[in-house]
Amino acid sequence: MIEVERVSKQFQDLEALREVSLAVHKGSVYGLVGSNGAGKTTMLKLLAGIYKPDSGNLMIDSQPVFENEAIKTRCVFIPDILYFFLNYTIQDMADFYANIYPQWNNQRYLKLANVFNIEVKRRIRTLSKGMQRQVALWLGLALMPDVMILDEPLDGLDPVMRQKVKNLIIQDVAEREMTIIISSHNLRELEDICDYIGILHQGKMLIQKDFDDLRADVHKIQVAFSGEIPPALLEQTQTLYHEQRGSVLILIVRGAYSEIISHMQSYNPAVLDILPLTLEEIFIYEMGDNGYEIKNILY
Amino acid sequence: MFELDLRSRAPIYEQLVDKIIELIINNVLKPDEQLPSVRVLSSELTINPNTIQKAYRELEYRGYIYSLPGKGSFVKPAVSGDNTARLQSLESELARIIAEMRYLGMPPGEIVTRVNDLLSKDKGGKMND
Repeated sequence: MIEVERVSKQFQDLEALREVSLAVHKGSVYGLVGSNGAGKTTMLKLLAGIYKPDSGNLMIDSQPVFENEAIKTRCVFIPDILYFFLNYTIQDMADFYANIYPQWNNQRYLKLANVFNIEVKRRIRTLSKGMQRQVALWLGLALMPDVMILDEPLDGLDPVMRQKVKNLIIQDVAEREMTIIISSHNLRELEDICDYIGILHQGKMLIQKDFDDLRADVHKIQVAFSGEIPPALLEQTQTLYHEQRGSVLILIVRGAYSEIISHMQSYNPAVLDILPLTLEEIFIYEMGDNGYEIKNILY
Repeated sequence: MFELDLRSRAPIYEQLVDKIIELIINNVLKPDEQLPSVRVLSSELTINPNTIQKAYRELEYRGYIYSLPGKGSFVKPAVSGDNTARLQSLESELARIIAEMRYLGMPPGEIVTRVNDLLSKDKGGKMND
Protein backbone atom coordinates (compact mmCIF):
# COMPACT_ATOMS: atom_id res chain seq x y z
CA MET A 1 0.00 0.00 0.00
CA ILE A 2 1.38 3.37 -1.03
CA GLU A 3 0.19 6.46 0.79
CA VAL A 4 1.10 9.98 -0.15
CA GLU A 5 -0.24 12.80 1.97
CA ARG A 6 -0.03 16.45 0.97
CA VAL A 7 3.44 16.15 -0.47
CA SER A 8 5.12 19.24 -1.89
CA LYS A 9 8.38 19.50 -3.74
CA GLN A 10 10.16 22.60 -4.89
CA PHE A 11 13.27 22.98 -7.05
CA GLN A 12 14.67 26.43 -6.30
CA ASP A 13 11.83 28.71 -7.38
CA LEU A 14 10.01 26.06 -9.39
CA GLU A 15 7.14 24.48 -7.51
CA ALA A 16 7.01 20.99 -8.99
CA LEU A 17 4.32 19.49 -6.74
CA ARG A 18 1.90 21.20 -4.42
CA GLU A 19 0.18 19.21 -1.69
CA VAL A 20 -0.41 16.11 -3.74
CA SER A 21 -2.12 13.18 -2.07
CA LEU A 22 -2.64 9.73 -3.49
CA ALA A 23 -3.17 6.18 -2.36
CA VAL A 24 -2.43 2.97 -4.21
CA HIS A 25 -3.74 -0.28 -2.79
CA LYS A 26 -1.80 -3.52 -2.85
CA GLY A 27 -2.27 -5.35 -6.12
CA SER A 28 -3.60 -2.30 -7.87
CA VAL A 29 -2.35 -0.64 -11.04
CA TYR A 30 -2.36 3.14 -10.73
CA GLY A 31 -2.01 5.21 -13.89
CA LEU A 32 -0.51 8.64 -13.48
CA VAL A 33 -1.23 10.94 -16.38
CA GLY A 34 -0.85 14.65 -16.90
CA SER A 35 0.25 17.47 -19.12
CA ASN A 36 3.92 17.91 -19.97
CA GLY A 37 5.79 19.27 -16.98
CA ALA A 38 2.91 18.46 -14.64
CA GLY A 39 5.19 16.77 -12.11
CA LYS A 40 4.69 13.09 -12.94
CA THR A 41 8.36 12.20 -12.96
CA THR A 42 8.95 14.20 -9.78
CA MET A 43 6.13 12.26 -8.12
CA LEU A 44 7.61 8.94 -9.22
CA LYS A 45 11.10 9.90 -8.09
CA LEU A 46 9.68 10.85 -4.69
CA LEU A 47 8.00 7.45 -4.49
CA ALA A 48 11.23 5.73 -5.45
CA GLY A 49 13.04 7.55 -2.65
CA ILE A 50 15.30 9.46 -5.00
CA TYR A 51 13.95 12.86 -3.97
CA LYS A 52 13.10 13.90 -0.46
CA PRO A 53 9.73 15.60 -0.03
CA ASP A 54 9.85 19.22 1.22
CA SER A 55 6.70 18.63 3.25
CA GLY A 56 4.03 16.00 3.68
CA ASN A 57 4.16 12.26 4.22
CA LEU A 58 5.14 9.60 1.76
CA MET A 59 4.86 6.01 2.92
CA ILE A 60 5.04 2.53 1.46
CA ASP A 61 3.56 -0.05 3.84
CA SER A 62 3.41 2.62 6.56
CA GLN A 63 7.13 3.39 6.39
CA PRO A 64 8.75 6.49 4.94
CA VAL A 65 10.62 5.71 1.73
CA PHE A 66 13.51 8.14 1.72
CA GLU A 67 16.80 6.47 2.72
CA ASN A 68 14.86 3.39 3.81
CA GLU A 69 16.77 0.35 2.61
CA ALA A 70 14.19 -2.21 3.71
CA ILE A 71 11.53 -0.60 1.54
CA LYS A 72 13.82 0.18 -1.34
CA THR A 73 14.92 -3.45 -1.77
CA ARG A 74 11.27 -4.31 -2.45
CA CYS A 75 10.71 -1.56 -4.99
CA VAL A 76 11.85 -1.25 -8.56
CA PHE A 77 11.96 2.08 -10.31
CA ILE A 78 12.41 2.21 -14.05
CA PRO A 79 13.02 5.83 -14.98
CA ASP A 80 12.26 7.43 -18.31
CA ILE A 81 15.96 7.97 -18.96
CA LEU A 82 17.69 4.71 -18.25
CA TYR A 83 21.09 4.43 -16.66
CA PHE A 84 23.45 1.51 -16.96
CA PHE A 85 27.09 1.32 -15.92
CA LEU A 86 29.63 1.93 -18.62
CA ASN A 87 30.81 -1.23 -20.39
CA TYR A 88 28.48 -3.48 -18.38
CA THR A 89 26.96 -6.47 -20.12
CA ILE A 90 23.47 -7.71 -19.26
CA GLN A 91 25.04 -10.53 -17.24
CA ASP A 92 27.27 -8.07 -15.31
CA MET A 93 24.25 -5.98 -14.46
CA ALA A 94 22.33 -9.09 -13.36
CA ASP A 95 25.23 -10.12 -11.10
CA PHE A 96 25.31 -6.63 -9.66
CA TYR A 97 21.60 -6.70 -8.83
CA ALA A 98 21.81 -10.27 -7.47
CA ASN A 99 24.42 -8.98 -5.08
CA ILE A 100 22.45 -6.05 -3.69
CA TYR A 101 18.82 -7.22 -3.89
CA PRO A 102 18.17 -10.11 -1.47
CA GLN A 103 15.08 -11.36 -3.34
CA TRP A 104 16.78 -11.53 -6.75
CA ASN A 105 15.38 -14.58 -8.54
CA ASN A 106 17.95 -16.09 -10.86
CA GLN A 107 15.57 -18.72 -12.17
CA ARG A 108 13.22 -16.02 -13.27
CA TYR A 109 16.05 -14.09 -14.86
CA LEU A 110 17.00 -17.13 -16.94
CA LYS A 111 13.39 -17.83 -17.84
CA LEU A 112 12.79 -14.29 -18.97
CA ALA A 113 15.83 -14.57 -21.25
CA ASN A 114 13.55 -16.53 -23.59
CA VAL A 115 11.04 -13.71 -23.65
CA PHE A 116 13.45 -10.89 -24.31
CA ASN A 117 15.82 -12.88 -26.43
CA ILE A 118 18.87 -10.64 -26.19
CA GLU A 119 22.35 -12.15 -25.88
CA VAL A 120 23.38 -11.67 -22.22
CA LYS A 121 27.01 -11.05 -23.18
CA ARG A 122 26.16 -7.85 -25.02
CA ARG A 123 27.15 -4.52 -23.54
CA ILE A 124 23.96 -2.75 -22.57
CA ARG A 125 25.01 0.65 -23.83
CA THR A 126 25.56 -0.70 -27.31
CA LEU A 127 21.95 -1.85 -27.50
CA SER A 128 19.20 0.17 -29.17
CA LYS A 129 16.90 2.38 -27.09
CA GLY A 130 14.06 -0.14 -27.16
CA MET A 131 16.35 -3.03 -26.29
CA GLN A 132 17.82 -1.13 -23.35
CA ARG A 133 14.30 -0.66 -22.06
CA GLN A 134 13.67 -4.36 -22.45
CA VAL A 135 16.78 -5.05 -20.37
CA ALA A 136 15.55 -2.69 -17.64
CA LEU A 137 12.19 -4.45 -17.50
CA TRP A 138 13.79 -7.89 -17.64
CA LEU A 139 16.11 -7.15 -14.73
CA GLY A 140 13.32 -5.33 -12.89
CA LEU A 141 10.97 -8.30 -13.08
CA ALA A 142 13.72 -10.69 -11.98
CA LEU A 143 14.01 -8.66 -8.78
CA MET A 144 10.53 -9.88 -7.78
CA PRO A 145 9.53 -6.45 -6.52
CA ASP A 146 6.42 -5.79 -4.44
CA VAL A 147 6.13 -2.34 -5.97
CA MET A 148 7.05 -1.30 -9.50
CA ILE A 149 7.34 2.36 -10.31
CA LEU A 150 7.39 2.79 -14.05
CA ASP A 151 7.98 6.03 -15.90
CA GLU A 152 6.85 5.70 -19.51
CA PRO A 153 7.83 2.00 -19.50
CA LEU A 154 6.55 1.12 -22.95
CA ASP A 155 8.18 4.04 -24.68
CA GLY A 156 10.36 2.85 -27.55
CA LEU A 157 9.11 -0.76 -27.53
CA ASP A 158 7.70 -2.38 -30.63
CA PRO A 159 4.02 -3.46 -30.61
CA VAL A 160 4.80 -7.14 -29.98
CA MET A 161 7.11 -6.32 -27.11
CA ARG A 162 4.62 -3.83 -25.60
CA GLN A 163 2.03 -6.56 -25.43
CA LYS A 164 4.51 -9.05 -23.97
CA VAL A 165 5.68 -6.61 -21.31
CA LYS A 166 2.14 -5.65 -20.34
CA ASN A 167 1.29 -9.32 -20.06
CA LEU A 168 4.30 -10.07 -17.85
CA ILE A 169 3.49 -7.17 -15.56
CA ILE A 170 -0.19 -8.10 -15.30
CA GLN A 171 0.72 -11.69 -14.47
CA ASP A 172 2.75 -10.48 -11.51
CA VAL A 173 -0.16 -8.33 -10.41
CA ALA A 174 -2.54 -11.28 -10.64
CA GLU A 175 -0.27 -13.86 -9.07
CA ARG A 176 1.72 -12.04 -6.43
CA GLU A 177 -0.38 -8.90 -5.91
CA MET A 178 2.41 -6.67 -7.11
CA THR A 179 1.52 -2.99 -6.92
CA ILE A 180 2.20 -0.78 -9.90
CA ILE A 181 2.31 2.92 -10.42
CA ILE A 182 2.80 3.82 -14.02
CA SER A 183 3.03 7.08 -15.91
CA SER A 184 2.33 7.34 -19.59
CA HIS A 185 1.07 9.59 -22.30
CA ASN A 186 -0.29 6.67 -24.20
CA LEU A 187 -3.70 6.81 -22.60
CA ARG A 188 -5.10 4.13 -24.89
CA GLU A 189 -2.61 1.70 -23.45
CA LEU A 190 -3.24 2.63 -19.83
CA GLU A 191 -6.93 1.88 -20.25
CA ASP A 192 -6.33 -1.87 -20.53
CA ILE A 193 -4.21 -2.31 -17.47
CA CYS A 194 -5.00 0.42 -14.94
CA ASP A 195 -7.79 0.28 -12.39
CA TYR A 196 -7.10 3.68 -10.90
CA ILE A 197 -6.24 6.93 -12.64
CA GLY A 198 -4.80 10.19 -11.33
CA ILE A 199 -4.52 13.31 -13.47
CA LEU A 200 -1.81 15.81 -12.56
CA HIS A 201 -1.67 19.33 -13.90
CA GLN A 202 0.83 22.02 -12.94
CA GLY A 203 1.90 20.22 -9.79
CA LYS A 204 -1.60 19.60 -8.50
CA MET A 205 -3.79 16.50 -8.57
CA LEU A 206 -6.89 17.39 -10.59
CA ILE A 207 -8.82 14.19 -10.13
CA GLN A 208 -8.14 10.66 -9.07
CA LYS A 209 -10.66 7.94 -9.26
CA ASP A 210 -11.38 4.33 -9.90
CA PHE A 211 -11.14 4.16 -13.67
CA ASP A 212 -14.55 2.56 -14.22
CA ASP A 213 -16.21 5.10 -11.92
CA LEU A 214 -14.48 7.87 -13.81
CA ARG A 215 -15.93 6.57 -17.04
CA ALA A 216 -19.36 5.89 -15.59
CA ASP A 217 -19.47 9.47 -14.41
CA VAL A 218 -18.98 11.35 -17.66
CA HIS A 219 -20.79 10.70 -20.91
CA LYS A 220 -20.70 11.91 -24.42
CA ILE A 221 -24.14 12.47 -25.86
CA GLN A 222 -25.22 13.00 -29.42
CA VAL A 223 -28.74 14.31 -29.85
CA ALA A 224 -30.59 15.48 -32.89
CA PHE A 225 -34.07 16.87 -33.27
CA SER A 226 -36.33 16.80 -36.28
CA GLY A 227 -37.23 20.43 -35.63
CA GLU A 228 -35.53 23.15 -33.63
CA ILE A 229 -33.30 22.25 -30.74
CA PRO A 230 -35.39 23.01 -27.64
CA PRO A 231 -33.70 26.01 -25.97
CA ALA A 232 -34.59 24.61 -22.55
CA LEU A 233 -32.30 21.66 -23.15
CA LEU A 234 -29.12 23.68 -23.00
CA GLU A 235 -30.40 25.84 -20.17
CA GLN A 236 -31.39 22.91 -18.00
CA THR A 237 -28.45 20.62 -18.64
CA GLN A 238 -25.14 21.00 -16.87
CA THR A 239 -22.59 20.41 -19.58
CA LEU A 240 -18.84 20.22 -19.43
CA TYR A 241 -18.74 20.98 -23.09
CA HIS A 242 -21.17 21.37 -25.93
CA GLU A 243 -20.86 21.73 -29.61
CA GLN A 244 -23.33 21.98 -32.44
CA ARG A 245 -22.55 20.35 -35.74
CA GLY A 246 -25.38 21.08 -38.13
CA SER A 247 -28.52 19.77 -36.51
CA VAL A 248 -26.62 17.42 -34.21
CA LEU A 249 -25.77 18.53 -30.73
CA ILE A 250 -22.79 17.00 -28.97
CA LEU A 251 -22.71 17.30 -25.20
CA ILE A 252 -20.35 16.13 -22.53
CA VAL A 253 -22.37 15.64 -19.38
CA ARG A 254 -21.54 14.51 -15.89
CA GLY A 255 -23.98 12.21 -14.16
CA ALA A 256 -25.40 8.72 -14.03
CA TYR A 257 -26.31 7.01 -17.28
CA SER A 258 -29.97 6.35 -16.47
CA GLU A 259 -30.61 9.90 -15.29
CA ILE A 260 -29.12 11.37 -18.43
CA ILE A 261 -31.20 9.11 -20.63
CA SER A 262 -34.47 9.97 -18.97
CA HIS A 263 -33.60 13.66 -18.90
CA MET A 264 -32.77 13.67 -22.60
CA GLN A 265 -35.77 11.61 -23.59
CA SER A 266 -38.06 14.18 -22.02
CA TYR A 267 -37.17 16.44 -24.97
CA ASN A 268 -38.20 13.80 -27.52
CA PRO A 269 -35.06 13.75 -29.61
CA ALA A 270 -35.06 12.09 -33.02
CA VAL A 271 -31.65 10.59 -32.35
CA LEU A 272 -30.11 9.94 -28.97
CA ASP A 273 -26.78 8.23 -28.54
CA ILE A 274 -24.84 7.98 -25.33
CA LEU A 275 -21.23 6.95 -25.61
CA PRO A 276 -18.82 6.21 -22.82
CA LEU A 277 -15.78 8.47 -22.99
CA THR A 278 -12.30 7.21 -23.64
CA LEU A 279 -9.59 8.12 -21.18
CA GLU A 280 -8.13 10.41 -23.79
CA GLU A 281 -11.38 12.36 -24.03
CA ILE A 282 -11.77 12.55 -20.26
CA PHE A 283 -8.23 13.88 -20.07
CA ILE A 284 -8.86 16.52 -22.73
CA TYR A 285 -12.15 17.76 -21.25
CA GLU A 286 -10.87 17.81 -17.68
CA MET A 287 -7.82 19.73 -18.82
CA GLY A 288 -10.02 22.08 -20.83
CA ASP A 289 -11.93 22.78 -17.62
CA ASN A 290 -8.64 23.84 -16.09
CA GLY A 291 -7.60 26.19 -18.80
CA TYR A 292 -5.46 23.77 -20.76
CA GLU A 293 -7.43 23.58 -23.94
CA ILE A 294 -6.78 22.37 -27.41
CA LYS A 295 -6.95 25.46 -29.51
CA ASN A 296 -6.55 24.85 -33.16
CA ILE A 297 -3.88 27.08 -34.46
CA LEU A 298 -4.66 28.44 -37.88
CA TYR A 299 -2.01 29.91 -40.08
CA MET B 1 -12.25 -18.26 -24.92
CA PHE B 2 -12.99 -14.56 -25.07
CA GLU B 3 -11.90 -11.88 -27.40
CA LEU B 4 -12.40 -8.34 -26.21
CA ASP B 5 -12.43 -5.29 -28.39
CA LEU B 6 -9.83 -3.12 -26.74
CA ARG B 7 -10.49 -0.33 -29.19
CA SER B 8 -14.16 -0.15 -28.27
CA ARG B 9 -15.41 2.70 -26.16
CA ALA B 10 -17.27 0.34 -23.88
CA PRO B 11 -15.46 -0.18 -20.58
CA ILE B 12 -13.59 -3.46 -20.42
CA TYR B 13 -15.47 -4.77 -17.44
CA GLU B 14 -18.79 -4.11 -19.18
CA GLN B 15 -17.56 -5.93 -22.27
CA LEU B 16 -16.55 -8.86 -20.10
CA VAL B 17 -19.93 -8.97 -18.39
CA ASP B 18 -21.78 -8.84 -21.73
CA LYS B 19 -19.53 -11.48 -23.28
CA ILE B 20 -19.98 -13.94 -20.44
CA ILE B 21 -23.74 -13.38 -20.35
CA GLU B 22 -23.84 -14.06 -24.08
CA LEU B 23 -21.93 -17.31 -23.60
CA ILE B 24 -24.28 -18.34 -20.81
CA ILE B 25 -27.45 -17.48 -22.72
CA ASN B 26 -26.24 -19.36 -25.78
CA ASN B 27 -25.37 -22.34 -23.64
CA VAL B 28 -21.68 -22.28 -24.54
CA LEU B 29 -21.01 -22.06 -20.84
CA LYS B 30 -23.15 -24.81 -19.33
CA PRO B 31 -24.92 -24.62 -15.98
CA ASP B 32 -22.54 -25.30 -13.08
CA GLU B 33 -19.55 -25.06 -15.39
CA GLN B 34 -16.55 -23.36 -13.83
CA LEU B 35 -15.44 -20.04 -15.22
CA PRO B 36 -11.73 -19.45 -15.73
CA SER B 37 -10.03 -18.08 -12.62
CA VAL B 38 -9.30 -14.39 -12.34
CA ARG B 39 -5.58 -15.07 -12.60
CA VAL B 40 -5.84 -17.19 -15.71
CA LEU B 41 -8.20 -14.82 -17.49
CA SER B 42 -6.12 -11.83 -16.49
CA SER B 43 -2.94 -13.17 -18.04
CA GLU B 44 -4.77 -14.55 -21.07
CA LEU B 45 -6.37 -11.24 -21.91
CA THR B 46 -3.68 -8.95 -20.43
CA ILE B 47 -6.25 -7.15 -18.36
CA ASN B 48 -6.02 -5.95 -14.80
CA PRO B 49 -7.18 -8.74 -12.44
CA ASN B 50 -9.18 -6.23 -10.42
CA THR B 51 -11.25 -5.47 -13.52
CA ILE B 52 -12.04 -9.15 -13.95
CA GLN B 53 -12.88 -9.49 -10.27
CA LYS B 54 -15.28 -6.61 -10.70
CA ALA B 55 -16.94 -8.19 -13.73
CA TYR B 56 -17.39 -11.45 -11.81
CA ARG B 57 -18.92 -9.57 -8.87
CA GLU B 58 -21.34 -7.85 -11.25
CA LEU B 59 -22.31 -11.17 -12.83
CA GLU B 60 -22.90 -12.65 -9.41
CA TYR B 61 -25.00 -9.66 -8.41
CA ARG B 62 -27.08 -10.00 -11.55
CA GLY B 63 -27.58 -13.70 -10.83
CA TYR B 64 -25.70 -15.26 -13.74
CA ILE B 65 -22.95 -16.90 -11.74
CA TYR B 66 -22.28 -18.05 -8.19
CA SER B 67 -18.97 -18.39 -6.42
CA LEU B 68 -17.73 -20.97 -3.97
CA PRO B 69 -15.06 -19.67 -1.61
CA GLY B 70 -11.69 -21.17 -2.48
CA LYS B 71 -13.04 -22.95 -5.56
CA GLY B 72 -13.96 -20.29 -8.05
CA SER B 73 -16.96 -19.03 -9.99
CA PHE B 74 -19.60 -21.18 -11.65
CA VAL B 75 -22.51 -20.65 -14.01
CA LYS B 76 -25.81 -20.40 -12.18
CA PRO B 77 -28.41 -22.75 -13.72
CA ALA B 78 -31.44 -20.50 -14.25
CA VAL B 79 -31.40 -16.77 -14.30
CA SER B 80 -33.64 -15.40 -11.62
CA GLY B 81 -34.15 -11.94 -10.25
CA ASP B 82 -35.10 -8.62 -11.68
CA ASN B 83 -34.62 -8.24 -15.41
CA THR B 84 -36.75 -5.14 -15.90
CA ALA B 85 -33.89 -2.77 -16.61
CA ARG B 86 -32.28 -5.03 -19.17
CA LEU B 87 -35.62 -5.77 -20.83
CA GLN B 88 -36.31 -2.06 -21.06
CA SER B 89 -33.04 -1.37 -22.81
CA LEU B 90 -33.62 -4.30 -25.17
CA GLU B 91 -37.03 -2.91 -25.99
CA SER B 92 -35.64 0.49 -26.88
CA GLU B 93 -33.04 -1.23 -29.04
CA LEU B 94 -35.84 -3.07 -30.80
CA ALA B 95 -37.69 0.20 -31.33
CA ARG B 96 -34.59 1.67 -32.93
CA ILE B 97 -34.16 -1.33 -35.24
CA ILE B 98 -37.79 -1.24 -36.29
CA ALA B 99 -37.63 2.49 -36.97
CA GLU B 100 -34.61 1.93 -39.19
CA MET B 101 -36.31 -0.93 -41.06
CA ARG B 102 -39.35 1.25 -41.66
CA TYR B 103 -37.15 4.10 -42.87
CA LEU B 104 -35.39 1.78 -45.31
CA GLY B 105 -38.79 0.90 -46.73
CA MET B 106 -39.69 -2.44 -45.20
CA PRO B 107 -43.49 -2.66 -44.82
CA PRO B 108 -44.83 -3.37 -41.31
CA GLY B 109 -46.33 -6.71 -42.41
CA GLU B 110 -42.91 -7.87 -43.62
CA ILE B 111 -41.34 -6.95 -40.28
CA VAL B 112 -43.96 -8.95 -38.41
CA THR B 113 -43.33 -11.98 -40.67
CA ARG B 114 -39.58 -11.76 -40.06
CA VAL B 115 -40.08 -11.55 -36.31
CA ASN B 116 -42.44 -14.55 -36.38
CA ASP B 117 -39.91 -16.52 -38.44
CA LEU B 118 -37.20 -15.78 -35.89
CA LEU B 119 -39.50 -16.69 -33.03
CA SER B 120 -40.40 -20.05 -34.58
CA LYS B 121 -36.70 -20.84 -35.12
CA ASP B 122 -35.86 -19.98 -31.53
CA LYS B 123 -36.15 -22.97 -29.23
CA GLY B 124 -36.18 -22.42 -25.52
CA GLY B 125 -34.57 -19.03 -25.19
CA LYS B 126 -31.38 -19.82 -27.12
CA MET B 127 -31.50 -16.53 -28.86
CA ASN B 128 -28.68 -14.38 -30.01
CA ASP B 129 -28.14 -11.61 -27.55
